[in-house]
Amino acid sequence: MFNFFYNSNIFIWIEKLINFINSIFFVLLLVALSFALIFSPPDYLQGDSVRIMYVHVPAAWIGLASFTVIAFLSIINFIFKIKNLTLIAKSIAPIGLLFTCIAIVTGSIWGQPTWGTFWAWDARITSMVILAIFYLLFILTHKYFLEESKANNVSSLIAIVGLINIPIVKYSVEWWATLHQPASIKISGTSSIHSSMLMPLLLMFFVLILYCALIFLMKYKTEIIRIKKKNLKRI
Amino acid sequence: MLPKKVKKRASLLAIFLLASILGVFLILNTLNKNILYFNSPTDIKISQDLNYNKKIRIGGMVKKNTLEINNQEIKFIITDFKNEISVSFKGTIPNLFAEGKGVVAEGMLKDKRFFEADRILAKHDENYMPPELKNILSDNVK
Amino acid sequence: MSMGGYGIFVWSSFVITFLVCGVFYYKTRKTLKKYEKEFAKEIENLSAEQKKIVLENSKIASKILSTYNKTI
Repeated sequence: MFNFFYNSNIFIWIEKLINFINSIFFVLLLVALSFALIFSPPDYLQGDSVRIMYVHVPAAWIGLASFTVIAFLSIINFIFKIKNLTLIAKSIAPIGLLFTCIAIVTGSIWGQPTWGTFWAWDARITSMVILAIFYLLFILTHKYFLEESKANNVSSLIAIVGLINIPIVKYSVEWWATLHQPASIKISGTSSIHSSMLMPLLLMFFVLILYCALIFLMKYKTEIIRIKKKNLKRI
Repeated sequence: MLPKKVKKRASLLAIFLLASILGVFLILNTLNKNILYFNSPTDIKISQDLNYNKKIRIGGMVKKNTLEINNQEIKFIITDFKNEISVSFKGTIPNLFAEGKGVVAEGMLKDKRFFEADRILAKHDENYMPPELKNILSDNVK
Repeated sequence: MSMGGYGIFVWSSFVITFLVCGVFYYKTRKTLKKYEKEFAKEIENLSAEQKKIVLENSKIASKILSTYNKTI
């Protein structure tokens, strides 16, 4: 397992992927932005403020998805102690925190014209803030504990407890009376969002996922170099 | 077979996870009333211990054809299609506030059927569509 | 541009998002370059014999070194 992940071929692939994403990223970003800001229609009720959704929703998805990935990696990691999974989880966490914060801030900017307030302590928004706090704790444990095995154990437990918060975020809008509206896009069943708005949303999601992949690969590469450097000192 | 250490860690984790799920569930259960961002008119009607000096929020739909706007105040009825509460309000309303749309009013109860709001929030629904489509839809309804 | 009065909200959320993403990208890249540089330095400090052993045994080490040399 160790050898597979540390295979130098993987390292070369990381380099190739970074270069590939870099080469196509800006074209895709321009396409997605022009759809989100110019070509897509305004909403019948919200007018143009619906465009905020094109950054808010993908950011929230990424925030939730990356925490789920971190939590499952942490479960495996806590039981089997695989060093590479720690590196992967550690490389994902800052991206997740970044996008959770973006989701909160853009949501707040959207709330002002739509709801009439920047902030409301309803279940969805509060659970999203708690998610950001879990990310922060996860990242800080790696900074605080210098001994790596201890940092891994503590951060894994934090991620596993934080996993309970994920369904709470997702279903808060259905379980309790919240100011935040229920999800428009459902995994099963019909979505209550028109295709002319769904398309730019998915396009934007794709572009932001590419951005995440880019950052992840760079962070992961940094971690590998850090480990290699440590091994050098042992000679 | 798995090594003993791995088994031990797995069972430890399982117990830990179950305990924290139970803990979170209990916390949510005790907080239940506080998690609700607003009460519906039905909640108010069946509630036994109403506090008339505390700020609360009431949410529901603005009942159609009940919105009255004059110079000093705005009056309307919040309904959850079972029970209703009359609301009066002085101040600015959000752009999306309209008849037949969701609303959350913050303020104090005068009695079980009358509410004095000092803040109005619009509750948006999950439907997104371009204006042309909305026109077609409403034509079909007619 | 003004988007019926909503322009300021729309533009500010897009600008914030992409500005923050840009800064974050720049920082990540800077750290990566820093580590590459430090790694290259460590290798230069090794004796000729050790250096040969490291580069022969680890493809990754030589790869890091070559990308670093390309960027200077």
